[in-house]
Parts: sequence; C-alpha cells; structure tokens
Amino acid sequence: MSTLIVIDQPPYGSWAGREALDMAFSLAAFDQPVSLLFCGAGVNWLRKGQEPGTIRQKSVEKNLAAAPIFGVEALLADGDDCKRYGLEAEQLLDGVTLVQADSQLFTNYSHTAFAG
Amino acid sequence: MQDSTPFSFTLVITGAPYSSQAPQSALSFAAAAIKAGHRVDRVFLYGDGVQLASALASPPSDEPQWPREWSTFLEEHGIPGVACIASALRRGLVDEGEQKRYELPASNLRAPFTIAGLGEWVEGRMSSSRTVYFHGSD
Repeated sequence: MSTLIVIDQPPYGSWAGREALDMAFSLAAFDQPVSLLFCGAGVNWLRKGQEPGTIRQKSVEKNLAAAPIFGVEALLADGDDCKRYGLEAEQLLDGVTLVQADSQLFTNYSHTAFAG
Repeated sequence: MQDSTPFSFTLVITGAPYSSQAPQSALSFAAAAIKAGHRVDRVFLYGDGVQLASALASPPSDEPQWPREWSTFLEEHGIPGVACIASALRRGLVDEGEQKRYELPASNLRAPFTIAGLGEWVEGRMSSSRTVYFHGSD
C-alpha cells in the first residue's frame, strides 16, 4: 500500500510541514512506499535558493534533497498552484514532478495523510 | 453495518486541546466506535496533539479536562496512548526518562500515555484496518 503525504502549508511559518516530512521519512525508513505532494501554499517548499537563516530556521531544501536517498518515491507538485505562486519549472528543486492534484491522483494511493 | 466485520482503528491526533477541537472529536469518535463493536488499537499524538498528554493542564473547573478524560478512557479500555517523541520534546512534554536524559527540572507526561517514535504510527497504520486523523484548525 502506497501513502501520499500532503504538504499544503508554506515552509517556516509553522512546523506542520516539517512534521509531515518526518512522517514521510519515517515510512520510508520502514520500507513503506511513500510520496510527497506539495499543493496550495505548500509549493513554496520547492523553491530553489531558500535562505531562512535570518529567521533562524534551517532551509527545507536540504531535507527535500535527501528525500530520494531516504527512499521517498516521488516529490509531486500541483502545476496550477506553482503557477499561482509564480513558480516556473526552472525555479523548482530538481526531481519534482508536476501533477494535477485532483481526486484522480488520490486514487493511486491507498493512504493519505496531512500533518496538521 | 451490524453484519459487517468490525474495524480496528489507529487514531492520530494532531490538534492540541483548548486550541482545537481535535482531542474532543477523537474521543467522541473512539467512544462511538467501541460502542458499535469496533476496536481502537492505539492513539498516536503528533505535532501539537502531544499537549493532550500533559499532566499539568489545569483548565477552569467548569471546562472539560480533556487530558484527564482521555487518560481515563484509555485506561478503561486498555488502549495504548503514544506521544511522538520529537513532537513532545520540542513542545516541553517529557517523561522521567527524557527528563534525566536532557537534565530537565521536571517531567509532565500523564499516565497512561507513553513517549515513542513515529514507528508506532507506521506500525499502527499497518496493523489497524483504518487510520483516522484528527487535525487542528490549520
């Protein structure tokens, strides 16, 4: 059974997304198939060149770059939401697949979870 | 529904008491599920939901004491309640073991809750027939 972890909140403003990422890594560590979907304001996680040092937070880019190494199957982003936030393909982190986050997508997964 | 096979549930609570309705909704759900003949395998507290396991919550006496109501329910039904260790440590919720490890002045984990890793959630969602999430308002 494959799980889709959904991150729909922007990075840094809340810990929910970071904790959702931990859920994904935890599943991967137990050899459970898992993918991440970024939608809504959550697509901002995927922006290249994040520098949150001035707000004393760690960049989430490193965590996401490690996702394939930890066994996360795919980083998915809703294409329309990327457009809405002015994110062009070349501004996205490597390895992101653009999708349409609709009910059809969710049928590919047996389990879906949000952190909060 | 009466003829159907009973479900077993893992409940995940990510909303804190008194800032969200998540613990209350989860408790109503758990009570209704058990009453209908289903089983609750475990309750996993994640993110802000770990606040539910605080032994120090002291709401005004005319408000429900959700941490106490939940611990009573867990004890009555022999259901394990587990708070995610990473979420708990960040938010100042510790058992005696973590108190010693981090040399903290106090511990505040309410029995029968325990502290453990996300592996408990992974295992719960594999072994239960349904996993249900109770989120805060975000």
